[in-house]
Amino acid sequence: MQDILTALRGKTEQAEVYSLEEESTLISFEANVMKSARVEQKQGTALRGTVNGRLGFTAAGGNVAKEKLINNLLASAQYADKVPISFPSATPGPEVTTYDPALADVPFSRLVEIGREIIATLLEADTDAKIGVDIERGLTQWSLCNSAGTQTSRKTSSFSISISVERVRGDDVLLIYDWVNGISLTDAYREAVQRLGAKIELAKKSASLVAGRMPVLFSPTGGLVLALPIMQATDGKSVQRGISPMSDRLGQTVFDRKITLWDDPTLVGRPGSGSHDGEGVPCRRKALVQQGTCNSFLYDLKTAALMGAQSTGNGARGIFSPPYPSPSNLVMEAGKSSLPEILAGIKHGLLVEFALGLGQGNTISGAFSNTLGLAYVIESGEIIGRVKDVSLAGNIYEDLREVADVSQESDWVYGQIRMPYILLPELNVTCKS
Amino acid sequence: MDRDRIQSALRASRADYTEFRSETRQVTRIVYLGRRLETVDTISDEGGIVRALVRSGGWGLSTFNSLDNLEHRFDQAYESARVVQTDPINLAPVTFAHDEIRATLGTDFRQIPLAQKKGLIESYNDILLSFGRVVDTQAVYMDEFITLTYANSEGAFIVEERPMVTVYLVATAREGSNVQRAADGLSVPAGYEHVLGMEETARKVAQRAVDLLSAETVVGGVYPVVCDPKLSGVFIHEAFGHLSEADFVYANPQAQEMMVLGRQFGRDILTVVDDGGLPGMRGTHRYDDEGTPTRRTELVRQGVLTGRLHSRETAARMGEAVTGNARATGYRYPPIVRMTNTFIERGQTPFEQMVSDIKLGVYACDAIGGQTMLENFSFSAGYGYMIRDGRIAEMVKDVVLSGNLFSTLQKIDAVGDDLTFSHFGMCGKGQGGGLPVSTGAPHVRIQDVVIGGR
Repeated sequence: MQDILTALRGKTEQAEVYSLEEESTLISFEANVMKSARVEQKQGTALRGTVNGRLGFTAAGGNVAKEKLINNLLASAQYADKVPISFPSATPGPEVTTYDPALADVPFSRLVEIGREIIATLLEADTDAKIGVDIERGLTQWSLCNSAGTQTSRKTSSFSISISVERVRGDDVLLIYDWVNGISLTDAYREAVQRLGAKIELAKKSASLVAGRMPVLFSPTGGLVLALPIMQATDGKSVQRGISPMSDRLGQTVFDRKITLWDDPTLVGRPGSGSHDGEGVPCRRKALVQQGTCNSFLYDLKTAALMGAQSTGNGARGIFSPPYPSPSNLVMEAGKSSLPEILAGIKHGLLVEFALGLGQGNTISGAFSNTLGLAYVIESGEIIGRVKDVSLAGNIYEDLREVADVSQESDWVYGQIRMPYILLPELNVTCKS
Repeated sequence: MDRDRIQSALRASRADYTEFRSETRQVTRIVYLGRRLETVDTISDEGGIVRALVRSGGWGLSTFNSLDNLEHRFDQAYESARVVQTDPINLAPVTFAHDEIRATLGTDFRQIPLAQKKGLIESYNDILLSFGRVVDTQAVYMDEFITLTYANSEGAFIVEERPMVTVYLVATAREGSNVQRAADGLSVPAGYEHVLGMEETARKVAQRAVDLLSAETVVGGVYPVVCDPKLSGVFIHEAFGHLSEADFVYANPQAQEMMVLGRQFGRDILTVVDDGGLPGMRGTHRYDDEGTPTRRTELVRQGVLTGRLHSRETAARMGEAVTGNARATGYRYPPIVRMTNTFIERGQTPFEQMVSDIKLGVYACDAIGGQTMLENFSFSAGYGYMIRDGRIAEMVKDVVLSGNLFSTLQKIDAVGDDLTFSHFGMCGKGQGGGLPVSTGAPHVRIQDVVIGGR
């Protein structure tokens, strides 16, 4: 790495070398039986550099031919746009543990055991279910050095389990997923199994619904319908491009006071945590939305430079793309009411567990219109059964201005965002019957 | 890759079946976001995968960037396969070939200077930006050249060049908090000449984004819907095609019952085909990623379920013939059952006639995306128009179609005489992002579709 940086001296004004090495193990169960095991080895190098202020990029996977990489970078910088970017010098960040050495020592047989346990437990909930489980353990080491003197490397460990349950009865199909992740092997997967078991149970009964406007309760997973447009709107790149509806609303009240969304890279044991981002900028915790007010956007170095702002330490990167702004761990702040209390207050409404077509529509505008993959009817405070062929539509910039309640309970959704239950007083629900 | 090294490693493998696949890949990307050139870069990548089958165990895989110690990777795959414990896996028989498939490009994009490619995509981007109220764009030029080597312990040795050239254009128009997008593009395994002359595409994209600003959101309800070929093609791929993939049914007796061959799925006007051999399309290859020759497979013939798509494993398990549909998303992933080029066969109803007897309906065009939960589906049209008294009327936006696959296929009551393919599809099944596919269809009319809306 240092030798590439040295070779770029004189050819570029600023330069940066990023390299990644990764080893992972994945075991897969399909339709209730173990199907395959995979070992993966990954390595790659990415370069950035400025020539006459123009910021070039290139990358290579596999064995790096140094000369070719450097030539590709210089060609890129010749045609690229000017960006007033400064690579950061070495600056300390918060101390966050990202690596659990014990993970590497977990025997393969333990991973297989976990898979079997998950399948056995879910088969108790429904003997006809076909369960798929992927268990993945990864160990990553990335290194970054730049011409401003940053020279850093980080080891991270990751452990994730994804579970799918498929149940076919006649023409009736139930397909549900859950996902847990962390930097260590914990028994968080048992909670996921419990959640899935509860969903299978509830979906056994079916219910019907009359279309119209009604209170809608979003589960943590269902709540992605509402969270996704906020995530897109607070992405510094959307702001810089002028397509974020929140771009000119910093400091203004946009949503109900019950809505607060954190970006928190300091959480213990989360894979999104870290002391520095992929560009060597220190990470920090910040509210994107605070009590309904638009508070902060997420920037990497480039979008910050173009906006005349500071990087918020959210420069994420893989090997093959230039860095981009991305949240670390998102946390939607929990509320004061318990879920049973919230349910008890709903006379007639809908519980949304899983929406199809997330991000397919004009999400950035705040509009959502989704068919529901899994939803339940609530009558007099009770969840009475699954309803199908239902869809939901609205716009978060109107419908999140009044939030009826937010639950104490919250869960990680797809390992990315921690969400409570959110109750909206009234949304339009369309259905076939 | 060195042929002797691969073949000797295959011979030395202790697994019952072993295969090797490697890729070298060179990609050039030029991306404009609005007035800014986001990136112009060339990246290179190489890597491989060894997949081993041990009958008393299961599948073992090793994927890697470093091709140095190949024997070690073969060992890793074998050792991984040994620890798996599953029912014995068999592979359907295939006659394998030694073959070399060279790309035939009109104008080889690798010979075009970067400055010229940049000039091309910049000119399209300028067209998008020339429309007032277009506040943002995304204009992407990409070319990719992959050289793939595939070999297995049953005698296949295939070298294939896989080129792809892509132009993708997005316009975002904005008026206060009203933000609207329109997109179109082309991506084909062919030469540079295919992405020249797309000025009209750029103009249409920009105009549509602007027009959508003044379109009303469709009023939710149940309508007769005429889908344009783009949307119909995505619909048949997403809503029906995935159920025809044998890995969905082979281990699930209930699913087999649901997808039993001979079941009436639609009226006799409906025929659905997957064909990996159609020239020049995104899902086209001479062999799939298990070395099986590709072919035409009729999934539905005149309304009746007649076929499904297989890998060697699913074909053996179900006692059916291989179809050449085992495809992998690059060297990091094993092949799984995937579609290639999937389409609804040409029908007989002219478009005007389809619309003429609709009193109140929706003409849904273009697909932003689609997702299915097997029987349930949801599709977002890019834009649409109301149909009033047999005529195309005002433009509407946020048109999302949803429903149950089985009842919806039965309600297709007209298939157009205008089969059109679209070449942009990325299918996102399983791991590792998108796999190139083409989809095709004529205009299709469906009765009683739920359209979400406010």
